[in-house]
Amino acid sequence: MSLLLRRRFFWEEIDLMSLLDILLLVAALLASGLFVLGRGSFAGWLATVVYGLMLAVLAIAGLALDSGVAFIPSAMSFEILGRNLGWRLDGLGWFFALLTVGAAFFASWYGSGEWGRKQKRMGLQHALLALNVLAMLLLLSSGDLLSLFIGWELVSWAAFAIMTQGGGPAVAAAYRYMIYALAGAMAVFAAIMLVQNVTGGLGFADLQTAISAMSTAQVWVLFILFAAGFGVKMALMPFHLWQAPAYSETPGASSAFLNAVSARMGLFALILVLVKLTGLEALGSLAIPFTFMSAKSALMWVAAITMVVPTFIALMQTDARMLLTWHGIGQGGYMLLGVLVGTSLGTAGGLMHVFNYATYQAALFLAVTAVIHRAGTSDLDELGGLITRMPWTYVTLLMGIIGLAGLPPMNGFVSKWMIYKSLLDGGQPLLLIMAFAATLGTILSVYKLIHNIFLGQLRREHQHLKEAPVSMVLPMLILAGIGFVTGFMPGLALNITDIAQRAIGGDMLPHHLGGVTLATGSLNMLWVVGVLIGAIGAGALIFYLLGNRRYEVHQFDNYAGGHFLSADIRYHFSHEFYPGLARVIGPWYRGSIVRAEQGIGILVNVAGDLWQAVFRVAYTPLYMLLVVVLGLVFTGSWGIVP
Amino acid sequence: MNTVPQIIFPVAIPLIAAFLLPIAGRCHAGFGRIFGRAAVLVTFLASALLAWQVAGAGPASSAMGGFKAPLGIVFYADNLAMAFVLLLNIGVWLFWPSGDEDRSGPYTLLLTLLGGGAGLVLSGDLFNIFVFYEIVAVASYGLAASGGSAAGFGASLRYLLLSALGSSLALMGIALVYAAAGTLNLADLALLAPDVLRGPPGAAAFLLLLIGFGVKAELFPVNSWVPEIYASAPVRVTSLLAGIVSKLALIVILRFLVLVFPMPSAYGLLLTLGILGVLAGELAAYRARDLNSTFAWSSIAQLGVIAIAFSIPGPAGIAAGIALALHHAVVKPAFFFIADKWRGDVKLLSGGARTSPLVAALFVLLSLSIIGIPPLPGFWAKYLLLDAAFSSSPAYWLAAAVVLAGAVVEGAYLFRAAGFFYGGPQKGRGAALFMPGELVPAFVLGAVLLVAMFAIAPLGAYITSMAVQAADVPAIAAQILLGGN
Repeated sequence: MSLLLRRRFFWEEIDLMSLLDILLLVAALLASGLFVLGRGSFAGWLATVVYGLMLAVLAIAGLALDSGVAFIPSAMSFEILGRNLGWRLDGLGWFFALLTVGAAFFASWYGSGEWGRKQKRMGLQHALLALNVLAMLLLLSSGDLLSLFIGWELVSWAAFAIMTQGGGPAVAAAYRYMIYALAGAMAVFAAIMLVQNVTGGLGFADLQTAISAMSTAQVWVLFILFAAGFGVKMALMPFHLWQAPAYSETPGASSAFLNAVSARMGLFALILVLVKLTGLEALGSLAIPFTFMSAKSALMWVAAITMVVPTFIALMQTDARMLLTWHGIGQGGYMLLGVLVGTSLGTAGGLMHVFNYATYQAALFLAVTAVIHRAGTSDLDELGGLITRMPWTYVTLLMGIIGLAGLPPMNGFVSKWMIYKSLLDGGQPLLLIMAFAATLGTILSVYKLIHNIFLGQLRREHQHLKEAPVSMVLPMLILAGIGFVTGFMPGLALNITDIAQRAIGGDMLPHHLGGVTLATGSLNMLWVVGVLIGAIGAGALIFYLLGNRRYEVHQFDNYAGGHFLSADIRYHFSHEFYPGLARVIGPWYRGSIVRAEQGIGILVNVAGDLWQAVFRVAYTPLYMLLVVVLGLVFTGSWGIVP
Repeated sequence: MNTVPQIIFPVAIPLIAAFLLPIAGRCHAGFGRIFGRAAVLVTFLASALLAWQVAGAGPASSAMGGFKAPLGIVFYADNLAMAFVLLLNIGVWLFWPSGDEDRSGPYTLLLTLLGGGAGLVLSGDLFNIFVFYEIVAVASYGLAASGGSAAGFGASLRYLLLSALGSSLALMGIALVYAAAGTLNLADLALLAPDVLRGPPGAAAFLLLLIGFGVKAELFPVNSWVPEIYASAPVRVTSLLAGIVSKLALIVILRFLVLVFPMPSAYGLLLTLGILGVLAGELAAYRARDLNSTFAWSSIAQLGVIAIAFSIPGPAGIAAGIALALHHAVVKPAFFFIADKWRGDVKLLSGGARTSPLVAALFVLLSLSIIGIPPLPGFWAKYLLLDAAFSSSPAYWLAAAVVLAGAVVEGAYLFRAAGFFYGGPQKGRGAALFMPGELVPAFVLGAVLLVAMFAIAPLGAYITSMAVQAADVPAIAAQILLGGN
């Protein structure tokens, strides 16, 4: 026994200084290599293998972080204009880095086969994917506010570059994203310069010093700048309009990557700056005058609204990609809400939801891309009955939507349960109701998704479709499989979120392989899934043993609204799904935020025209005269008044 | 005290060459062109030597003909002045007309501009500054019209009228200063200013000087000539005026501000005009539909940003202004070279990335830098500005917010154009092919930008030392008054 304890583990032998350096170097070499070699057919496979190796490096880093190392430093550092720029990977960054490289691994694998060969410039897409990974790793391992900002900008522009690859509407959507991201970045820039003004430094510790030294009004300005700036990237309302079109129009594999992790960079930065550095107590004590609210509760309500509204917008979408991306915005709200609750259960739930969401959203997007690959469209009005043609894609999509809706046995259930539970324990019943409302919307809309694509009758033009090739089916099935395994044994995922949670600080959540055991109520997924499968098995037994003789129903045997339709009449109800619900919630879609966005655009246009009119040459001497007179009044009064 | 008689060379050599050039051109047709280039090269070498001396031994001055400061003509050279003299030299060399025509007119004007511009930043008294400013102005009218188009003539006529009006206002300002202080020597004024130039008369004098010199510095609102001239003048002239000459005028305004008028109303005035310039320039550029006027308006905005930086009291603001000015001097000419290829509607860019991918990539690089995306140099310049602004009074916080919002608008119109480059109609003909030879200066500037990205640390230290030197009023005054012999 004592021998075991004294045994040195192999990761302790490896020089920790180098792990992050290796990771960044490999990512940089991969990105630049792919820009040169990207045209070759092997480029995608090469990238996939490299991502696999990077996952291995991250796994070693994770073991080191788990064994109590605070962070993995990098040898890379610069001194510019009197500021030190440094990089280091702590548990929080590691958690997001693992998801980033993992998502890139599956996206790259998916894009290396038949799907990639049909893309116009797949080599460039591979290179841009690698560039995104590099930028995200730099952001996630930033060691001070300046390197955080530099990483932030790199991530924004790398994402912009990959979004434009779809051409046509994708360029327009990416352009819109770019303007939002730029505005957010400028807010963050202003915020870090405010910190520097107070403390004279840009280290993470300086932020903490600055907050204690600033007046309440200044802290508010800082909070709003950070929350809005980082919130743009995770599409917090009201800065959410760009995300769904931009992610939807990105080519499939890259889009799965962006969907899984890109918006989470905003969450990472929010957790780092607001939760880890500022602290939730400080946010909670930042009261909004004349209300019961504080900065923390205001942000929680923003998260809750982000959870509900986009989910119901998703319900009304008629394109599978748009439906999923709108849900992506809503799911971000759950994560932020969980983290902001601040209890060990809430934080773990929020972080686990990040992990879970990455698995099922990537799987869902890859499945929808497979449908587009075969059927040529993701329009929910023009599909149906594909279950007989693409059964494995159907299975992936089914598992994915169970996760997205947060139902057992998939992992989405566990994290949502933890978030609900933390809201309940934290005395936030109204937010809990919001979360339930959002989940209801999710269940309704994911049913629409699977029904309109896979159930019902097959269209005539899809009669001869085949299942997607193995290179596409395998990655998405594995992703869905991860979703099931971590749903069945959530302890596996909670081991990973533990590392991030330790880096954030605060209490840890005790857990076991099957879930969590709390004084107020426990969850053991081994039992839940066991009972579920057992019950389904028992039901099946009863059906098969006691039921009537089996009778095959052909896909075209219709029953609709009390009328039997014969097989020669095709009937698949997909257009205007949920008409009753749409009548009720339809009036919500007036789009006040859309109008605000248009209003700002019009304002800039009108102001631009006004200034152009001011520059009409004919008036120039008049202006000169005017300015001189006004200026003399100005300077004269300045001399007299003080 | 450091006395260097060679200080006259950057001014004298090009002016003498400018007088000799028409004669040389008359002797032999091709000789004029070579003579002009050779003169620029000699001036550059003389300036570089002087800059080396100044960098080593500290600021230098020289009194012409041995007449000492308050009465005689004094030139004063510190690192800031020499940096911009060198920049002007390099600019004139880089933007020397490439055509084969043997007209000596533009060459003469360019040399005049070179000499006048150097005199502008080296002069140690108000009156000589005014004289050199007029020399620069006259040269630039001629150069602006040298394209030979009717629109060019019309534009430069209006430019002339505006500029002349501005000059007369500046002269009134100088008269006001002379009436109040009895001297025009900057050093003398620096010592007398706290007594005689405080209060409304001083502020009025500064206002008149600001408006007068602001014409060249593209200061709001006397910059209405900018879009018209930049759209009609030859691209090399545009690059020179927008990239470098405008900065020289701003440096002169900075000298006035630091040495003669260091009072809140003067700083406030420059700040106000700078903010209005940023707003006007960015918004008007957003509505522009062709590349040339987009860049002209964006240039107004950039000069407004530099004015904001110079209006921040203390060396930090000056350093930020210098960094922004140098960055803009590299980026904007390259932009104008790209725009020159696609004169007219921005839609003509459609498909440009396919026919000329390098130009498209250069455009994106320049755009990212001017918006201020790390780690490109433009970001560090903006960083210095925000650093200085946030440590000043709340009025500067407002200015910083305007600059940041302006960057968003800037991103919107630059990437709208980039969208045409990379998107545009997929079928049919793309944008016209270009000859890479025409864009050599643009690529050189792009390369400079990339190299600067890796030299931010030494550049930052150099610019900061430059700014500290330029803000040290007692030392400057002592050097000018006592250094000459």
